Amino acid sequence: MLQFLAPLFLVALAGLAIPVVLHLTQREKKQIIRFPSLMFVRRIPYQSVRRRKIHNWLLLFVRMAALALLIAAFARPLFPRASPLVLPGGGAREVVVLLDTSYSMGYGDRWERARRAAREAVAGLSVPDRGSVVLFSSGSEIVARSVERDKALAAVDTAKLSAGATRYAPALKVAGSILSDTKLPRREVVLVSDFQSNGWRGEEGARLPAGAKLTTVPVAGQVDRPNVGITSVALTRQVVNNQERVEVTAGLVNRSTRPVENLAVKLEMGNIPHGTQSLTLPPGASSTVKFEPFNINSRNMRGVVKIGDDALPTDNAYYFVVSPAQPLRVMVMDRGTGESRRFLLDALSAGDSPKFETIVRQPEAVSDEELRRSAVVVLNDVSIAQNVARRLDRYVMEGGGLLVAAGGRASWPPEVATLPGAIGNNVDRRTGEPARISVLEYGHPVFEQFRGPRNGNFSSAKVFTYRSVNPSKDAQLLARFDGGSPAALERRVGNGRVLLWASALDREASDLPIRGIFPVLVRQSVLYLASYRPDQASVTVGQVLDPSVAAAPRGAPSAPRVVLTPSGRRVPLQDEEAEVLELSEQGFYEVRGATGSEPTVIASNVDPMESDLTPMDPNDIAVAAVGEPGASDPSSGRSEPLTPEAQENNQRLWQYLLFAGVLLLGVDTVLSNRLAAKG
Amino acid sequence: MAVEIHAIPGARFMDPVVLARIGNLELVSRAVVDGFINGLHKAPYFGASVDFAEHRGYVPGDDIRRMDWKLWARTDRYYIKEYEAESNMNFSVLLDVSKSMDYGSRGITKFEFARILTACLTNLVHHQRDRVGFVAFDDDVVEFVPSSAKHMETILHVLERVKPGRPGSLKAPLHKLAEHFGRRGVLVVISDFYEEPDAVLDAISPLRFRGNDLIVFHVLDPSELEFGFGDAQPFEDLESGEQLPVVPEAFRDEYRSLVQAHVDALQRSFSGVRVDYTLLDTSKPLDHALFRYLNSRSRTMKIR
Repeated sequence: MLQFLAPLFLVALAGLAIPVVLHLTQREKKQIIRFPSLMFVRRIPYQSVRRRKIHNWLLLFVRMAALALLIAAFARPLFPRASPLVLPGGGAREVVVLLDTSYSMGYGDRWERARRAAREAVAGLSVPDRGSVVLFSSGSEIVARSVERDKALAAVDTAKLSAGATRYAPALKVAGSILSDTKLPRREVVLVSDFQSNGWRGEEGARLPAGAKLTTVPVAGQVDRPNVGITSVALTRQVVNNQERVEVTAGLVNRSTRPVENLAVKLEMGNIPHGTQSLTLPPGASSTVKFEPFNINSRNMRGVVKIGDDALPTDNAYYFVVSPAQPLRVMVMDRGTGESRRFLLDALSAGDSPKFETIVRQPEAVSDEELRRSAVVVLNDVSIAQNVARRLDRYVMEGGGLLVAAGGRASWPPEVATLPGAIGNNVDRRTGEPARISVLEYGHPVFEQFRGPRNGNFSSAKVFTYRSVNPSKDAQLLARFDGGSPAALERRVGNGRVLLWASALDREASDLPIRGIFPVLVRQSVLYLASYRPDQASVTVGQVLDPSVAAAPRGAPSAPRVVLTPSGRRVPLQDEEAEVLELSEQGFYEVRGATGSEPTVIASNVDPMESDLTPMDPNDIAVAAVGEPGASDPSSGRSEPLTPEAQENNQRLWQYLLFAGVLLLGVDTVLSNRLAAKG
Repeated sequence: MAVEIHAIPGARFMDPVVLARIGNLELVSRAVVDGFINGLHKAPYFGASVDFAEHRGYVPGDDIRRMDWKLWARTDRYYIKEYEAESNMNFSVLLDVSKSMDYGSRGITKFEFARILTACLTNLVHHQRDRVGFVAFDDDVVEFVPSSAKHMETILHVLERVKPGRPGSLKAPLHKLAEHFGRRGVLVVISDFYEEPDAVLDAISPLRFRGNDLIVFHVLDPSELEFGFGDAQPFEDLESGEQLPVVPEAFRDEYRSLVQAHVDALQRSFSGVRVDYTLLDTSKPLDHALFRYLNSRSRTMKIR
């Protein structure tokens, strides 16, 4: 039955008399024409004018209908929903319960209510029915698939909250696949969640099979309790008296509608309190706190920024790992004078994070230990004997980086196929027009920095002498000289990379070394060859363990490795497959290698977006998944207040009424204009 | 909208509705008068007199008869001597600013039209170095700017300021004004002449007594001439506020004949006393009025 939210507005229906009165009175009034002088008109004898009787019943009706529609719109009509769980048809059911285990469900008593709702959904299964339980956060896990009622109930009872963020689409896809496989005639999905807007990014292809029913059970409840989350921790490194220090800055946000006063923010380093800061946050505000810098004494120092408990405790701690900055070791091999390598060494000494630790050696004088410790070897216009070439080849195969600058003195034994091309004749362009670098592969990581406009101009650099290069089959050409001869080539050899620059890196071969782009070019090349990745203080739950972090050091014997999770679980990493380990817990993961070696520590934090509890309309998901607004669970519907958006959605009828009213007013304008034109 | 073809180049820029939109009277009058004069191809005045004004540098094309040879002998440079043109005529526009002038059916009121016409005529005369004056009247004299060679700016300023507001009558103000125009000159009366022809003639005649040349512009809106109203509606007199029920369709023919008779009577009366009368329709370009003025000037000069 039709109801009204604001029935008092219906009193305004009395206003319908206005158009009638206007119609009755309007005809009596005439528009008066003001005329300069009635001198001549006055002389013409007056003739009585017959009054026209106009009966614009259509106009009157349109006006009254428009007013009535507008008044009805303001009165906010709504049709109360009928019970949605009365399903048509009969037969056994396949019910998939999707239970949200994201950490925002830990807010208040949401988790208890969600489990209760899931239990109720499963408890409704009769003997021929089958139930599946899917726990989902950023990923989804089928804990029970097409089982009887009791097993499904057990699966719900053992469900635990995770540290993940809400993502609806993967869970709906899993539900869709379960329903596609079933042979039971009635298919239902019950989605129990707090319906955070962050978890839904449009349709995302999450469509349930035809005929499936989706019931949404929102368990958000009241969200007015204090809730502060730590969203980020930034580490600022500085060197004071040869001692590296780190300053920790934590970002906090108050997600609730209440102010939080004198919040104690604590920093602990290795379980020892380091400092406490006090903070006051107005509703919805974010702020940062800085702690006193501390010295970095050892590798893998574990730090936590914490605040006291509130309605959502999971986002009240932020973990991070900090280690001393490791310089990148670069070995320069050359035989020349200091002049020939001056520009190269200058370029390598520029810049921090990371710093380069450069050593210069003659090719024959390099020890195996030095080679093993070097991340990148630079051959600076040097002739390499066969035995050295073989050692370098092995070094690259094991993951080392090799940068070859091929000037006039460079040579490489053709028996060792490490380089991306055979170094050929010397090309002398000192007389006449010097060579230019014409084609550049800007998509390559080495040249990516120069891609933007005004980010360095290679085409103006002059190259006076270079070596022609005959590229090998698997070489990637990165740059060419204007004659078409390769200028830079890359090749992957085993685990390592080789970069060949077809000219010397000194002032005689080109004017590149005196240009601003040179230090950037050298730095990028070395970082690329060393496969350098900056240290991450922490990762987010849901990310996959980076294999390179877990990899054994280069040259070290590959040992069986074990990951120790924050909850104390041991996961062995032996074969390639197992290395894809999703970080699902909040805290410190340890990757332990061979006995005696130091473990690698990874800090894992929850997604800060998840602590934003802004709700969404469950019908959006229902419309995307089954093409129509979903049914709300009546049992929870009575106890759970709808979100404001959902309420608004149920009362949308007023918008149509308002639209129709405005449309009729437009018709009225057209009609009256026509009548006026005719009259 | 029909495009009127004018004999004079530039005259199409004299559409009163367009000019009324410009707003700046000085700009409007200068544009109209300059364009009008250029359109004639021959300057209506030739500046030569005995009053030396200034020297200016010779440019090729100048008449070498006007070169100052003495100065050339002293400075070895060519200079042209320039003279003030003679100014011996008084010129005044008497503009009716009664309420009935504040009427317009085609984008411009009679008053706006008359105001632009006044500005143009004044500017034209000022170009000829004659003295210009201005009078605005309704049932009394509202504004009075005596004739002077330096009053061009003042007239434009007064024209900008003056607004039609009160009912008008011709006799009282014009009789009063007749006393003021002691010196011989040219008087232009612009009005809609909503009075009996005899009364109009009676009001105008004294202006001629001191030997003034009198030019009369009768400004009417096309609606006043055609009476093209549609519906039966009450009409209100702008000046008296009197209302009459009117059925235009029934009234139209009779009204037109009455207006035509009025215009004919005025024409007759004025020509009888050698006053130049012109009926101006506000939808027509201004060049018509300017021509009329120049024609009448040349004719009266010949007669004199």
